[in-house]
Amino acid sequence: MSKKARALDTSGPAAAPTDTPYKDEVLPIKSRQIDYAHPLWGTYPTTGARAQRGYRLSKFCMSFMSPANREAFKADHERYMSDWGLSDYEKGLIRRQDWNGMLRYGVNTFMLLKLSATLGVGQNRTGAAMRGQSYEEFMATRNVKEAS
Amino acid sequence: MTAAKGHGRIIGGLGSPHAPSIAVANNTGKAETPAWKPLFDGYKPMADWLEREKPDLIILVSNDHANTFFFDKYPTFALGVAAEHAIADEGWGKWPFPPVPGHSRFAWQLAHSLVDREFDIAVCQEMPLDHGCLTPLSCVFPPEKRWTVPVVPIIVNVIQPPLPSAMRCFKLGRAIREVVEEYDQDLRVVMFGTGGLTHQLNGERYGFTNPDWDRELLDLMEKDPERLARMTHQELMERGGAEGVEIIMWLVMRGALSPKVRCVHRNYYLPMVTGFAQVIYEDLGGETKAKRAPAREAALAG
Repeated sequence: MSKKARALDTSGPAAAPTDTPYKDEVLPIKSRQIDYAHPLWGTYPTTGARAQRGYRLSKFCMSFMSPANREAFKADHERYMSDWGLSDYEKGLIRRQDWNGMLRYGVNTFMLLKLSATLGVGQNRTGAAMRGQSYEEFMATRNVKEAS
Repeated sequence: MTAAKGHGRIIGGLGSPHAPSIAVANNTGKAETPAWKPLFDGYKPMADWLEREKPDLIILVSNDHANTFFFDKYPTFALGVAAEHAIADEGWGKWPFPPVPGHSRFAWQLAHSLVDREFDIAVCQEMPLDHGCLTPLSCVFPPEKRWTVPVVPIIVNVIQPPLPSAMRCFKLGRAIREVVEEYDQDLRVVMFGTGGLTHQLNGERYGFTNPDWDRELLDLMEKDPERLARMTHQELMERGGAEGVEIIMWLVMRGALSPKVRCVHRNYYLPMVTGFAQVIYEDLGGETKAKRAPAREAALAG
């Protein structure tokens, strides 16, 4: 591990989630590949209990692969969410567009992309929000923002 | 065994990112704009090389982005055996590409021979391709050449742990080489590894990049891939971002090539959130399993 690579990686740790109806436990998984006891800051691998918790919401996001479902959601967010039987907490995550909240809850990055695309929110806008920055602040950190 | 009528040969390996923004830029005529030209200039030598080498088959190593598979069932490795691969709708409409031709005869042989070698890959007759495959293919084949080379896709889980280790991916590449060399027909094969170098698309660490590591990684990929293959996902994610772990798919490509390769093209560009790298490695032949030194086998086993 080069010192420089490590040094780039110290802008965390992430703020602990508040107002969540669950405890975002350290995943009790032993792996030769990932040290789940010492998670990488600001990073949410969806596996184990977290993946199971987020499964229904992930499935909801997956529904947007169908054009008819995309249109139904766009026409009436609340009704579509209720039809899917989402809990109040899950609905709140979507209403607030709480991307980090969804990741911590167990929604995979690529599920979020299907939801954000249907909401008309570009990936780098979700990213800026995950970092706690405005879109303009985030884009100012990039080398060539026209390539997006 | 009857005497072989011919045999397959791996002639080289390509590496490319597969970010969907690249395919969108290409499809919307932005390839020559100042922001994108440094990347698209890197595809020209690859297109020329393919035009000159005229391979019979591309084995494309990429990942699904929850378009073909969902987390109800998620394979670690999957192989597309269809005669033609459909195009996915990822949630914003289908990509504007014709279906991609497959190579069923070779793909079924590959499936059997990989499982014979204890690589228990999921065999798929319907596996629509998403940007993971379509971005790199559409960048090396201009519209009039889509599609002139059959493609056998190998899909690696890089999105929901447990992911296969970097070493497992490297060894999968070596197994693919054996299968190609044992194939009973003449077949000139190009390996195509895809994926970004450093990037992270989730959490407060979104947008993490590390160009110094990307350069080191490209050096290792060419000259010492076994060192890369010995790294853990944790190390790869610390240095290259959570999604930077997808370079394990490049290791499948590299594992299928000769230990020494001739790097005839290397390009790097980091405009936004992903380190984009493109390479062409020409295969230098030699070293099949029978010829491989026992000491080297032992080192890889350890």
